[in-house]
Amino acid sequence: MKRLRALNHKAHLIEQAASDGHREEVQLMSSVVGCTTTFDPGWEVDAFGGLASLCQPMEADLYGCTDPCWWPAQLADSLNTARDWTDGKNSALRDWRELQTLFPGD
Amino acid sequence: MKPETRKRRRSHLRIAGAVALALGIAGAVPARAATDPGRDVIDKKCASCHLEDGKLTRIPEIRKSPEGWDMTVVRMGIWHKVELTADERRAVVKYLADRQGLAPSESAAFRFLTERRPNMQDAPPDDELAQMCARCHSYGRVALQRRDEDEWRKLMHTHLGQFPSAEYSALGRDRNWWEIARDKMPGRLAGLYPKNTDAWRDWSRAKHRPADGSWVVAGERPGWGPYTGTMTARAKGKDQYEVSYEFRFGAGNTVRGHGEAVIYTGYEWRGSAKLGNEDTRSIFALNEDGSRIDGRWFLKGADEIGATFEAVRADKSAKNALVSVSPSMLRAGDTATVTLAGAGLDPKVDLGPGVEVVEWLGKSAEELKLRVKVAADATSGLRKIAVGGRESDRTVAVYRQIDSVRVEPAFGIARVGGGTNPPVSAQFDAVAFLDGADGKSGTDDDVRLGSVPAKWSTEPFDERAKHDEDLKFAGHMEPHGQFLPSFAGPNPNRRGLNNVGNLSVVATVADGGRSLNAKGQLVVTVQRWNPTPLR
Repeated sequence: MKRLRALNHKAHLIEQAASDGHREEVQLMSSVVGCTTTFDPGWEVDAFGGLASLCQPMEADLYGCTDPCWWPAQLADSLNTARDWTDGKNSALRDWRELQTLFPGD
Repeated sequence: MKPETRKRRRSHLRIAGAVALALGIAGAVPARAATDPGRDVIDKKCASCHLEDGKLTRIPEIRKSPEGWDMTVVRMGIWHKVELTADERRAVVKYLADRQGLAPSESAAFRFLTERRPNMQDAPPDDELAQMCARCHSYGRVALQRRDEDEWRKLMHTHLGQFPSAEYSALGRDRNWWEIARDKMPGRLAGLYPKNTDAWRDWSRAKHRPADGSWVVAGERPGWGPYTGTMTARAKGKDQYEVSYEFRFGAGNTVRGHGEAVIYTGYEWRGSAKLGNEDTRSIFALNEDGSRIDGRWFLKGADEIGATFEAVRADKSAKNALVSVSPSMLRAGDTATVTLAGAGLDPKVDLGPGVEVVEWLGKSAEELKLRVKVAADATSGLRKIAVGGRESDRTVAVYRQIDSVRVEPAFGIARVGGGTNPPVSAQFDAVAFLDGADGKSGTDDDVRLGSVPAKWSTEPFDERAKHDEDLKFAGHMEPHGQFLPSFAGPNPNRRGLNNVGNLSVVATVADGGRSLNAKGQLVVTVQRWNPTPLR
């Protein structure tokens, strides 16, 4: 961390957690069942069990998550599984209402 | 990826699927009498790809829960464009779950996942399995399958091919992930969850008792409270039932309804019913001798809202089969009305030393109602209830004062809703405890008394939440402890945010003249677009 300098709020959070001795606590491996525990940065919750380190607003980065298949259990994975998920919905910020859930009803 | 490229690839996939289907229908499958519509689907559709030298591949090598098979079948539709009607989907899932399902003992540990209980903590057995499997989806999704080593390895290859991010997201890129996945995991998983087990051999050979008949039922719907009632199942075909329900939540709140149910694998009850004005789904399990049922029912389209469910058969063979006792806690020195529900109940009840029956208010085989006087010096703590001279596994607690209250769940998730994706609310419960032998609150020996009424409020969880005014935007708490989240989508009134929030949930409970507080955490978070039945 000596050569890195925190510039934004999320980076300050990580720096503060490390300096406060919480380095071990940020790697939760248990969460609410079905929520991802890959916290880079996390989909539902962040490594601190909160929201401040997530992409916000989520819609600004949604296609940055779905195109590289980042949360395939939670989102459409438009790399392989749902390639046409965003067709005609070019801006998640504007078109999020049109996005469909994936699993068909019974 | 450019949209044009995506479309071209999709069209190739569709053509491949169509060719495969055409081959299947044209006779690549060995001729056989189609005696089961599910088998018919396998022969005509699955076998188009899953056939080698006249034998099915992959499919016979796996055992799964009904939901596991349904997810497989749906995935074949999404990935390979296999087109099934709703009837075909149901038929093939039934066929496979019956013949290649899980024994009750194999699915028992992960019923919370099958029943879609909200806000449960995941339970992987160790860090290695958690990091390999449970960082993307629940661990139970793995533990509710059975395969041999080669078949587990094929699943690893499928994951790498289909979800390559597994190798380069955190806890993948910082180790030799693929070597661990390919070389170590298949053996570990086959050891934990092998295809062939004594439990499955015995269960698949045994005859199972049908579910038809009358049942006495009980349960609790968080926010509404406990209920007792009846359920009647009438057979209308193999493993299919028409079902009627009557649930009594308390004076003036009786819910009636009817619906249907299908039994998979000899014990897995999956039902749908209209209860009052609510469309519901039920996920129950019969026990091994078919004398009891337990599980959960929930609202269609909002599976986080639901109730626990237990039932005992109300037939001639039932003898003092107790299903519920209400209330679950009695204060020393008080007189209280206690109701016991069950089947074949004898009017002879023993609630332990210091609790005396002073009046009988009702005596039937399915319900005993009595006034009891609890001695001022009765011993605090749990005591087992005996009916008809037979000790049950049901308990009632005697207490003098509530020592502590906990908010359950301690950590809950709600999701903003909108567009095609409905909101997910979060229901909280205030649960009273005694301190136990160590005299300290919050330790392992605390005695659970049961749910108690509470006043509910919310606070910012931390300074960040206060700064961002999460309380103002994230939603609101209903008087019965249900948090209703706000709308999805960017909120122009919140710079760089939508309506997410990090809140403390506060329960205030009155106990005599005292007031006790407890806190839980609620994260109101973003939507989920992949609402699989096993998360």
